[in-house]
Amino acid sequence: MTPTPANPDERGTTLINHWQSGVPVTKGRVLTPFLAFLIVLAAIGLVLAGIRLVSPLGPFSAMNSAYAWGIWKTFNVMTLTALGSGPLALGMAAWVFNRQKLHVVMRTALVSGFLFYSTGLIALGFDVGRPWNFYNAVMPWRWNSESAMLEISICMPLYCAVFLSFEILPLFLERLYYTGNEKARAFLRHVSPRIRKVYPFVIIGAYVIPLMHQSSLGGLLLLAGDKINPLWQSPAMPWLYLVAAALCGFAFTIFLLLIVCLRYARPLDDSVLTELANLLSGVCFLFLAIRAIDLIWRGQLHRAFAFNEMSLLFLLETSLILVPAVVLQFRRFRETPRALLNMSALACVGGMLYRFIPTSIAYTPMRSTSYFPSVPELVMAVGYISLGIVAFVFAINYFAVLPGDASTWDHSFRPFGWKRRAPAPAAIPLLTVPALERGA
Amino acid sequence: MNILNMPLSRRQAFKAMLGLGGTVASAMLPTTALASTEEHPAHPIAPADAVAMLYDSTLCTGCKACMPACNEANGLPADTLLSGGIWDMPTGLNAQTKNIIELYQDPNSDEFSYVKKQCMHCLDPACVTGCPFGSLKKVDFGAVTWNGSLCIGCRYCEVACPFEVPQFEWEARNPKIVKCEFCYDQRLKENLEPACTAACPTGAVIFGKRDALLDQAKGRIAAAPDKYYENRVYGEHEAGGTQVLYLSSVSFQKIGLPKLGSTSLGHYATKVTSVIYKWLGGPIMMAGVLGFAIRRNWNRHELERLDHEKKTGFPDQL
Repeated sequence: MTPTPANPDERGTTLINHWQSGVPVTKGRVLTPFLAFLIVLAAIGLVLAGIRLVSPLGPFSAMNSAYAWGIWKTFNVMTLTALGSGPLALGMAAWVFNRQKLHVVMRTALVSGFLFYSTGLIALGFDVGRPWNFYNAVMPWRWNSESAMLEISICMPLYCAVFLSFEILPLFLERLYYTGNEKARAFLRHVSPRIRKVYPFVIIGAYVIPLMHQSSLGGLLLLAGDKINPLWQSPAMPWLYLVAAALCGFAFTIFLLLIVCLRYARPLDDSVLTELANLLSGVCFLFLAIRAIDLIWRGQLHRAFAFNEMSLLFLLETSLILVPAVVLQFRRFRETPRALLNMSALACVGGMLYRFIPTSIAYTPMRSTSYFPSVPELVMAVGYISLGIVAFVFAINYFAVLPGDASTWDHSFRPFGWKRRAPAPAAIPLLTVPALERGA
Repeated sequence: MNILNMPLSRRQAFKAMLGLGGTVASAMLPTTALASTEEHPAHPIAPADAVAMLYDSTLCTGCKACMPACNEANGLPADTLLSGGIWDMPTGLNAQTKNIIELYQDPNSDEFSYVKKQCMHCLDPACVTGCPFGSLKKVDFGAVTWNGSLCIGCRYCEVACPFEVPQFEWEARNPKIVKCEFCYDQRLKENLEPACTAACPTGAVIFGKRDALLDQAKGRIAAAPDKYYENRVYGEHEAGGTQVLYLSSVSFQKIGLPKLGSTSLGHYATKVTSVIYKWLGGPIMMAGVLGFAIRRNWNRHELERLDHEKKTGFPDQL
C-alpha cells in the first residue's frame, strides 16, 4: 500500500490514521464530460419515469402477471440496497463492536447508502401500480402486520427519510458552519450539542430498522414457495439476505473508497482498509457457513453439484464469495490495493448475485412465460443508478465526505454556483475557534 | 477491549439483568401464547361457514357456459384479442378473465381433459398473508376478495400465489387486481350460488359447503375406484387446503395444478417472524441490546473526542 508520511500530530489512539477526517474535493472540475453523460442518462430516466406516472405500466415494462416483479424491484431495490447497507454494516462495526477506526469512513458509507436507498425508493415509487393509496401507511389500523411487504414499504422510506437523513445532516451543518454568517454559526453552536445528545439514540433506530427490512427482503421471497429453486428457497433466506447485505455493505464501501481515492489521487489508509478487509472476509465466511449448513440441513446439497444451469449459478455465486473470503485472509493481499479492489469487487458481485438470483433467474413460475426487461425499463433503471452516481460526485465535491488527511484541508468549501471561482478562504482561521463550539 | 470484559457498575449490571430477563421472557411467553391461537397453523381448519366449488373434470364437456356467466356477473369485457373481435377467447386467466376452461391434450395419446381455472380460495391464502395493507381479505364464507381502496399495486399477491391467479391490469391507468372473488358481492351475499356453478349444465362444477362437497367427492372416488387420479381430491390438503376442490382422471400436474405440500405457505413464511415480531418484541429487544453497546462506546468516544479536540484543534466529525 502506498506509504503515507507519518502524521506529526498527536491525536490519541483512536483517530490516528492517515484518513483523519472527511475532506472535500476542492480541486479540479466537477462537471466532467463523463458526469455530463451521467446527468443526461439520469434525465432521460427521470423523464421516462414522469411519463410512466401518467401512463399504465404495460407499455413501459415487460413484466407480466407471472413475472410480476421486474428489475426495478429485483435489482434497484432488492439488490442495490444491499450495496447501500454500508451505513448498517460499518455503523454496527464502529458503534456496536467498537471498531473506532471506521468512524472516518462512515461518511462515505452513509452518503452512498443514502443514495442507494433513495434511488431505490424512487424506482419503487414508479413501479407500484396504485401509489395514491400509499397514504394507508400512516394508518396503523389498516396494516397487515404479518406481511413482509408492509415491513418494507414502511421501514425503507422511514429509514431513508429519518435515520439516514439524520446521519448525513452533519455534512450540511458543517458546511453551513464554515461558510455561513455569524448568525448561522450562532444557531449551529446552539444546535450541535443537541444533535450530539440525541445521536446515540437515533443510531439505535438506524441499525434496528435496516436489520428488520433487510431481512424482510429475504422474508418476502418465502411466500413465493416452490416458484424459487430449492437451492435458494429456504427458511434461512431472511438471515442470508441480512448477512449478504452486510457483506455487500463492506465490500462496496471498500470498492468505492479505493475507486474514488484513485480518481482524486488521495493517499490510502492502510489500517482502515485492512480492518474493513478483515471484516469483509469474516462476513463472507459467515455467509458461506450459513449457506452450507442450510443446504445440508435441508438435504439439498446434491443439487449444488448437479452441474445443471442452477447448480452452476450457485457455484459461481459461492465461489465469488469464497475467493475474497480466503484471499483476504492473507496479509500480503489485504495490504495490496489492487488485490483489495479486485477482491471487494468480486465479493460485491457475489453478494449481489445472491440477492438477485432468487428474485429472477431462479424464479420459475409454472406458466410458460418469460421476462426480460424492456428498453424503457432498462433505461429507467440505469437512469436511477446514474442519478445516484451524479449525486455522489456532487456530494464529495461540495461536502466533507471522502476521508483524507486533515492537514490538507483548511475548512474552505467549493462554492455553490455555476461560475468557477477560487475557493473562498475559510471563514474563520482554524485555531481561533474553541474546538467545542465547532459544527456537529 | 470488548463489551464482555468491561467492568460493570452496579446500575449497569442491573440493567443487563433486566435485559436478559426480558430476553428470556419474550422468548418464552409468545411460544405458550402461540400454542393456543396461532394465526397461521400449518394445516388450517376450514371455518364453519366455508363454502366450496367441486370441479370434476370427467364431467366437464368444455362447453364454457361458465365463462360468459362469469363475465356477466362480474361486468368483465370479453377477451376478443385472438378471435379478431368476435368472441371471448382468452388464453389463460388475465385482466379480463376471472374464470376459464382450459383443455389439456396429451400429444402422444388420446388422453385429454378440461380444467376450470379460477381463484382457489385457499384456507390460508398466501396473497392475504402478503398483502401489506389488507386489500386482499378472506371474508364470510371464506371468499378471498380485493378492496381497491387499500391496494398500492405492489403485486406481491402475484408473486405469492402458488396457483398464479391474481392478475394485474397492466394496461390500465387505475390498475386493479383481477381475480375470482367467489361472486361474493354479486351473488353470495344474496344467498345465490356463484355464476359459474349456476351456469354449468352438466354439474361438472357444483357449489356447496366445503365439508359436504369433500364428502361427496370422496363418495365419487369410492364409487368408482381407479377412475380418478391418485384416488384423491386435489385441494383437500394442497397448500393447507383450498375451497375449490378438483377431481380428475388425468394427472393434476398435467392439467396445470401445481404439486404442493400440505403446509400452508402463510405458516412457512411467518412461523419465525410471527414470534420475532410479536408485539414488536424482537426489534425492541434488539434496540435494547444495541442501545446498551452503543451507549458505552459513545461515552468512551465522547471522552476521547474532547481530549483530542483540545489537543489538536481538529473538530470531531460525526
